[in-house]
Amino acid sequence: MSIITRITTYIIPVIFLTILILSFVRKQNGYNAFLDGSKSAINLMVGVFPYLLTIMIAIQVYRVSGVSSVIANFISPAMNLVGIPVELSELMLIRPFSGSAALGLLENIFATYGPDSHIGRSASVIYGSSETIFYIATIYFSQSKVKRLGPAIPFALISTFIGCVIGIFVLQFI
Amino acid sequence: MMNKIWLIMLISGISTLIFINPSQVLEAVTQGALDSVNLSMRLVALYAFWLGFFALLEKTGVAGKLAKGLRPLVGFLFPKAEDESNKFVTMNMSANILGLGNAATPMAIRAINSMDDGSGKATLNMIMLVVISSTSLQILPSTVIGLRATHGSAAPADFLVASIIATLVSTFIGICLVKTYGMIGNRLKGRKAKKKALGSLPLMIRE
Repeated sequence: MSIITRITTYIIPVIFLTILILSFVRKQNGYNAFLDGSKSAINLMVGVFPYLLTIMIAIQVYRVSGVSSVIANFISPAMNLVGIPVELSELMLIRPFSGSAALGLLENIFATYGPDSHIGRSASVIYGSSETIFYIATIYFSQSKVKRLGPAIPFALISTFIGCVIGIFVLQFI
Repeated sequence: MMNKIWLIMLISGISTLIFINPSQVLEAVTQGALDSVNLSMRLVALYAFWLGFFALLEKTGVAGKLAKGLRPLVGFLFPKAEDESNKFVTMNMSANILGLGNAATPMAIRAINSMDDGSGKATLNMIMLVVISSTSLQILPSTVIGLRATHGSAAPADFLVASIIATLVSTFIGICLVKTYGMIGNRLKGRKAKKKALGSLPLMIRE
């Protein structure tokens, strides 16, 4: 595994270098191109910011209130049924909303149960194979006129959940 | 959808806090707002870098070539997409696989904009983009590996295989769900169109 880790640390620097050399060889004005591209970031952020603020206020209230742990207790039996350790219900619940909150929980789990325990490893799979789905759905559409997302969020949630269940199942054999 | 979730989160949160600790409500709201400003500051820097880098990719012709090379795959996932959307979608997927979520986001925003048909409803391609980004394969979840190492794990990367299998499964299921949804939608639309055609027939005869 350490070989894979080592190779992946080189991927991004090598991509950077290749593109810069290519721009030099093809006699393109890379400096101006980069400048033009980065200019659009401010406008992009102006559009994204209100969405970010609106969702993050709700996430903070939700987190502080501890509602997620109440719901986590409630759904624990169902989690157990599909092989997800009960201790990870809250992680599963908060992960789609907030990456930093989930990271906090992950750290907590590692500190309590140890990273190499079944719970610790399952938590690693959950965090490593899922995304902040609500954040993605909100920000992606922030610059468009689309108001109705259809089944985008439920589909993403369902497939992530099934993926996690299978990942944790596989964990027992490796 | 977002409206309901937003309201549920706030209403359940605030009503719980009123019983436990009412002084925390304002504190949490303020903290959330401040966090979002901090995050935007960080994001604007990262977006600027990645958008600059993307402009370089475009200028050197790499973006176009990558889009062309991946056309069979992207064309299957995003049928009838324009070249512009294809390019952004390709970059978004590549960034996601490399674990560069912050580079993937500006590309996705542009992809969605270029897919916008002004109807106010998410098209099938947009739904596909959200699902693929949400379930995307990550070669190296470096955050988790790092955290495991700091907590004294004997093998910080030993969950990697399971994690990769999990994302492969979730991406596959996500694609199937969206494709099935699209097929059902098409069939319903076809039936409606047929009904309309049949319905108008007697009228025409009467005339």
